[in-house]
Amino acid sequence: MNSALALILSLAAGLFTYYVYARYVDQRIIQADPRKATPARLYMDGVDFMPTSRHVLFGYQFKSIAALGPVTGPIIAMQWGWLPAFLWVIFGTMLIGWVQDYTSVMIGVRNEGQTFGALSYRLISPRGRITLLAFIFFYLILIVAAFGKIVGDMMAAVPSVPVAIVALVIVGLGAGYLIYRKHADILYTTLGMVVLALLAIWLGTSLPVKASPVAWVLFALAFSYAGAVLPIWLYGQPINYISFYLVFLGMIGAGIGVLVGHPSFTIPAFTQWTIPLGSIWPLLFVTVACGAISGWHSLVSSSGSARQLEKEIDARYVGAGSMISEMVLAVLSIIIAAATFASFAGYKEALGKGPAFIFATGMSGLLSFLGISPEFGKAFAGAMYVILAITVMQLVLRVARLSTTELLGDYVPVMRNMYVTAALVAIICWALIATGTWQYIWTLFGGSNQLMAALALMLVSIWLKQSGRNWHFTFWPMLFMFITTVVALLMTGIKLFKAPALLLAGKIKPPAGQTVAVAVGGNYISGVIAFLLVLAALVLVVDGLRVFFTSRPAAAGAQAGQTASTAD
Amino acid sequence: MAAHDMARFALKTRSSMEHLFILITMGDLLGVPILPPYYSLRLLPYVVPQVATWKRRMLREKDLTDAIY
Repeated sequence: MNSALALILSLAAGLFTYYVYARYVDQRIIQADPRKATPARLYMDGVDFMPTSRHVLFGYQFKSIAALGPVTGPIIAMQWGWLPAFLWVIFGTMLIGWVQDYTSVMIGVRNEGQTFGALSYRLISPRGRITLLAFIFFYLILIVAAFGKIVGDMMAAVPSVPVAIVALVIVGLGAGYLIYRKHADILYTTLGMVVLALLAIWLGTSLPVKASPVAWVLFALAFSYAGAVLPIWLYGQPINYISFYLVFLGMIGAGIGVLVGHPSFTIPAFTQWTIPLGSIWPLLFVTVACGAISGWHSLVSSSGSARQLEKEIDARYVGAGSMISEMVLAVLSIIIAAATFASFAGYKEALGKGPAFIFATGMSGLLSFLGISPEFGKAFAGAMYVILAITVMQLVLRVARLSTTELLGDYVPVMRNMYVTAALVAIICWALIATGTWQYIWTLFGGSNQLMAALALMLVSIWLKQSGRNWHFTFWPMLFMFITTVVALLMTGIKLFKAPALLLAGKIKPPAGQTVAVAVGGNYISGVIAFLLVLAALVLVVDGLRVFFTSRPAAAGAQAGQTASTAD
Repeated sequence: MAAHDMARFALKTRSSMEHLFILITMGDLLGVPILPPYYSLRLLPYVVPQVATWKRRMLREKDLTDAIY
């Protein structure tokens, strides 16, 4: 398969989905009405509820949802061959992915901008909300652990990256200071800072910094801790702002590189049904996380975009459009993994150094078609990868800190102190990274992510049924995602509980750099998390299905799911 | 679009200050009398445009999942 053809096919599939299926759902089922007042217009307060141009909102949504998931998942899934991952990315997005993102926006828009916590409380039960919060808490911890581990491996594997990342922090702080404190011109500041960041990446190629993965994981966690406790204008936001341009440049560069160089795939279309990670069903569907469907998107859609949508008809552009763009990003990473190495053996060997290493190598290959030197390309790709991870990590740690305070603050007074809660969450993540086995952590993250998606689809299905609309297009995908993910998590959990005995008997070796005792502890911790996730999801789904099957469409004219406004 | 976050943050900061100001001056409207009514009434004309939004934001149920984005 030629990589340019793969890219063009995915673009065609995306356009078809957007203009045919998404348009049908938007116009016929949801019946988006440009004249209906959206929460942004109804409750405009200039803060959360703020009508925003659909183009700005599209960029905002895409920036918020595109992280490491669509890049890393497909790279790992190449072990089954490129075809299964390619098909799942395309069809997963076409049938489930965009549906979840778009309906998550619309459920918020039609319910006065309520977010999932409030919606699960109202549509399912008070217990539903608490379970959802607990579920989200574990889910967030897994995101930080999975991403943190990747960052550690990446910075150890590509020594030209660390200087760029440290420089990016300094550049970001500088940008924040200039824009917020000195009121400098935003355009010139941005230009200057992006150029500085690129210079820093170039500088990194001649200033390699070597350290162990463990040290870099600690660095990433310290970075995220600062993001979680410092004022957001000073640290998190300007760094994310400058990062956006670097990631954007990288994506455009990779896309043009594929079209110019159009390398052919070197790994087989299909290898075998079962790889060391597990069998293709259900494991492929949780390994390829955000490229096909992701629960994180539903949280962003319902909390952020739903409250800023100017017109209902913008939801398709913002929700479905950004998900389809992310599908293209996932296809780019499939191309990177499938067309970079001389053979499948070469890919397997590179995978030993971590998926991040594959990304950096492949991306520099694509950029070299544009005449960019491989050293700079590798450093740039490495920096882009770390940025994708680290910007999400700090955001997630911030939210995890808030949810810890929310869940425990009333019972344990010390949990109201943000420095303590952020440190506690960071320590839990560290424990997972230090003791866990990487591929299982990734599977747990993927599993929790897809479960979150299933829960979002279930909320939407209940809302659709109660408002007398066709619910089939969300209900059946929800059932598929739920069964697949629960089976995947249970299989992983059982594996994790079986591993200690094998480790102690010496039948399997602990991961490099770990003692047997640490690996045993790590397996138990990860196993317990897997079962807790399944338990929380089961409680929610059982409650949800009970409501779903007992709910009747509301009388015509009375829009179900509309609550009395608290205003005045 | 990249600066959208910053714009929102600036607006959030302004609004939280505004909330505080109105709560101190017009707390009566929500049953939180802080200033003597004489001064509240003197300030009322300046605050009128914000009162409706302010009340809605103050009385709206908040949920943890609001904080995600």
